[in-house]
Amino acid sequence: MVAPRVRISIRDLSKTFRQGSREVWAVAPVSFDVHEREFVAIVGPSGCGKSTILNMVGGLIAPTGGEIVVDGQRVVGAPPPQVGYVFQKDTVFPWRTVERNIALGLEYRNVPPAERAARVREAIALAGLQGFEDAFPATLSGGMRQRVALMRSLVVDPEILLMDEPFGALDTHTKLNLHGELLSLWQAKQQTVIFVTHDLSEAITLADRIVVMTRRPGRIKQDYEVKLPRPRDVIRIRETDEYSREYSEIWHALGEELRAPTP
Amino acid sequence: MNRDRLRVFAWQVLILVAVLAAWQYLTGIKAVSKTPGLYWIDPFFISRPSAIAERFVYLMSPRVRLSIWQMALSTVQSTVWGFLVGISTGFVAGLVLGRSDRLARIFEPYIVAFNSLPRIALVPLITMIFGFGLLAKIVLAWSIVFFIVFFNTFQGARSVDADLIHSARFLGASERQIMTSVIVPSALAWTFASLTPSISFALIGVVVGEFIGGESGGGLGYLIIQSLGTLNAADMMVALFVLGAIGIVMALGIKQVEARLLRWRPEYQKR
Repeated sequence: MVAPRVRISIRDLSKTFRQGSREVWAVAPVSFDVHEREFVAIVGPSGCGKSTILNMVGGLIAPTGGEIVVDGQRVVGAPPPQVGYVFQKDTVFPWRTVERNIALGLEYRNVPPAERAARVREAIALAGLQGFEDAFPATLSGGMRQRVALMRSLVVDPEILLMDEPFGALDTHTKLNLHGELLSLWQAKQQTVIFVTHDLSEAITLADRIVVMTRRPGRIKQDYEVKLPRPRDVIRIRETDEYSREYSEIWHALGEELRAPTP
Repeated sequence: MNRDRLRVFAWQVLILVAVLAAWQYLTGIKAVSKTPGLYWIDPFFISRPSAIAERFVYLMSPRVRLSIWQMALSTVQSTVWGFLVGISTGFVAGLVLGRSDRLARIFEPYIVAFNSLPRIALVPLITMIFGFGLLAKIVLAWSIVFFIVFFNTFQGARSVDADLIHSARFLGASERQIMTSVIVPSALAWTFASLTPSISFALIGVVVGEFIGGESGGGLGYLIIQSLGTLNAADMMVALFVLGAIGIVMALGIKQVEARLLRWRPEYQKR
């Protein structure tokens, strides 16, 4: 079997922030690759720089050192066109209806109206948002808004998806539902995903690989392969022995970082 | 719920009738019997409802050179024009300065200085430049509305959520598309919130302009000043009532427009 090609290559990536008069390391030099169709989760204690790494991969902030190469192109300044991004924060446009939010990326890309409408309709059906096409975000629950944000990113068919704790603000029940939906959507298109979270069970449920970070300055502590079979049932998987084994193994490594005092 | 609204309305009518009745009665009885001129409340200063109604009918009739409707129309016209021009220029200026740090820093002292100038102090100068007509009143209303809208839009353009811009960029938006689909709608939300105060202030500007604008400027402000000259409280009251009615209608109209434009906001969602 030929090894799948590398889509995102992170080389000696580091970031420092100025805090008053001194430089603070947010991310110590880290290097790792993400391959085609791979679902990678980055977990670590809060403040370890995992979101900062994602922001740098998306071109939102410039690295202090090292480089990021996406499909052979160095990321500088602007987000690479084949990349979609889902924020933790609610970034649905409040003045647009559900339908027009999802259509946003298609409008930007000048997709003709007929095709746009068809793709939006399909996305709304996939997300189970029928009946809410003309609703404004203010009338929706947090889970539904995040569903809209997710479909808005997916409707333009990004090959690479960066997700920054997208379900972090949701309750456990809603979160589990969205895990299930995300997995079935991912199963269909097999995007290359980097998913940042501090929730280990979420990472194990979703990912093929888990990169555990140390506390600040973030360094890679360990790189795990999640060996759970796919397709996964987000509820039942938690009852399996394999899941427990993976969990306790990674939890041990993560726990060391959580216990140590943050400087 | 409906009963409750009816009850509130009944109280409102009751208060109006009571005030009018007391006004009519207290300005009609003598405080000291038979002494001429010593009323409980002297109608010379505040007139009486019956006298006001009489003058109102008279001022509507073709016997006067400038009917009350013509004056009201002149006031409304200048207010609407000042309001519209003020909003559009204030919006554009707020948007441009709000998105350019450099320009905002350069213009800041001038804007603060001009805005802290009492606008009434400008009335003679504006009249000198634009004459005694409609234009001077419009310019005056504009000079107030412009700054209200400008500051609101400026604030709105500055506080555009950076993550909304980022998400637009990830969805493939060009700089132009980010302007039209993120920045303008965000800023507009703030602009719309300034519409209600703007219309009231536009009316203030126009009436002040009419105070010194003279007959060629016309308007209800002119009627008020003319009544001061003839010590005619009844005419003044007529002008005030019509002004009040205009103010209410305009404010309610703007409220409707605002609720429609901002219907996506949580506070307009209920109902």
